[in-house]
Amino acid sequence: MRSGCMDAAIAERMPPLAGDTPKAETFEALYERTFPKVYAYVASLLRDRSAAEDVTAQAFERAYRKRRSYRPARGTAEGWIFGIARNAALDELRRRKRRAGLHADPEDVAAPAVEDHAERSLRRQVVRSALAELAGPERDMVALKFMGGLSNAEIARVLGMGESNVGTRLHRTITKLREACDDRA
Amino acid sequence: MTELDAEIESELRVIDDALERGTATAPGGPERELEELVTALAADPPRPDPVFASVLGERVRAGFPRRRGTGRLPGPGWPKLRRPPKVVLAGAASIVAAVAVVISLQSSESQPEMSGLSDGAADISALPEESASAPRAAQGSAIAPASPVSPDGGFVPGAEDRRIERSASLTLAAPDDRLEDVANDIIAVTDRYDGFVLRSSVSTGQEGASTGDFELRIPASRLQPALRDLSKLGDVRARTQAGEDITREFVSAGDRLRAARAERRGLLTRLESAATDTEAESIRRRLDLVAAEINGLRGQLRDLRLRSDYATVAVTLERSDDEEGSSDDGSGGDGLGGAFDDAASSLSDSVELLVRVLGVAIAPALLAGLVLLGARTVRRRRREAALG
Repeated sequence: MRSGCMDAAIAERMPPLAGDTPKAETFEALYERTFPKVYAYVASLLRDRSAAEDVTAQAFERAYRKRRSYRPARGTAEGWIFGIARNAALDELRRRKRRAGLHADPEDVAAPAVEDHAERSLRRQVVRSALAELAGPERDMVALKFMGGLSNAEIARVLGMGESNVGTRLHRTITKLREACDDRA
Repeated sequence: MTELDAEIESELRVIDDALERGTATAPGGPERELEELVTALAADPPRPDPVFASVLGERVRAGFPRRRGTGRLPGPGWPKLRRPPKVVLAGAASIVAAVAVVISLQSSESQPEMSGLSDGAADISALPEESASAPRAAQGSAIAPASPVSPDGGFVPGAEDRRIERSASLTLAAPDDRLEDVANDIIAVTDRYDGFVLRSSVSTGQEGASTGDFELRIPASRLQPALRDLSKLGDVRARTQAGEDITREFVSAGDRLRAARAERRGLLTRLESAATDTEAESIRRRLDLVAAEINGLRGQLRDLRLRSDYATVAVTLERSDDEEGSSDDGSGGDGLGGAFDDAASSLSDSVELLVRVLGVAIAPALLAGLVLLGARTVRRRRREAALG
């Protein structure tokens, strides 16, 4: 998905980032690569487009301010920034005392019209309703995997658990999703 | 690898492959269903508003400049004040606590045995007369049962006609070259308060007086001001006071003296009216015994009165520590050698303080670390709880 050399380069060039244009482009490159996925992940968790924008911006600014604390040995830059975004999103959830969930995905203005892709839209609707039945941590894992596009190792780093544990939980979650989809099909 | 593990591995591989391709390619069956589910999950993710993406991109390229007024991004839960890292706060708190403890320990070590007596003049005067009994009571001294003692062993305040035998001891330190002067001043203070020196001993070395011991008698009513003045003569290293209620002994001796006198008066009356020489001789022998008893009781009363009217004060005179050090090792003198000695002494003191600070700081630092760890765990759990 990403090259390890790229992360190492970012790590080397991130600490003295401030005010130096060539080095600023390094963080910018990280931002360009991860921004859509981070937003999708945060929006999936918060289910609020406005809050997702605030939290995404907050997460990237936090990452920028804390860029010197990033250590490549502790994981990829993507995993690091998703960890920051996840904490910001959970803080927002807790602050607003709103139940996290993917009961309904945020309205996507760029999504194709239902009439144009009826079958795909129907399939998405089934999947969305199946997702709504998952527990919060399961939805979080699904969002990290399918919205964030993280590897199992990166998810393990973000969630603070073992990679094999992530694999097992992912398997269980997918099994539940398949069963729920079958029920609705 | 178990069957379940193999199944999980296979499924995860299918998921990753489907995510990478973005389409379902399996001809059919459960694998096809899984691929379709994966592509459906990953398809059409929430996309950011183009305007928002553009604004944020600009901010990233500008290095997140501080916004005028707030200095930070408006956003949910954004802290209003930038706080220093908790580790720094905890470390600073540990160091401050350690320094405070070390300083308090050092100050308590430098104080005399009775707290608050570094400046004897002010503190001694602040002590009530009755408080002098506390040390003796603490030592388990026996006080006459008939004495009106308070439950905690002290004397009952306000009780009249009490006979209290008071004693005090004082250890003073003075520079070597002032020891003789201080010894003379001790005697002068004793004279000033109408007391007297019962015993005195001043040992003199090659360079003058080294130590001295004095046993003084000071009128009990003037004990506190006398102690205050004595304390001014040098550094108070230790001071103790004690008091013992001897009222019962005094009253008992007085009663027995009155009884003896009454008996003597009776014997004299009987002697005048004695009919025979034998009877008169017998009365005279009894009179001699009673007279001896009266004399003994008078002496006993005189002794008790002396003990209660005059307090016993034991003063020990010592050289100051720094003087001892300077005379023992020759350091602290003038010149380059003295400067080196002073520097070494300062360095030693600094190292000693550092070791003490470290010794005291380790426990709070460990505690702070545990607290931080616990707080981090709690914060993580609270965040996770937000997922429901």
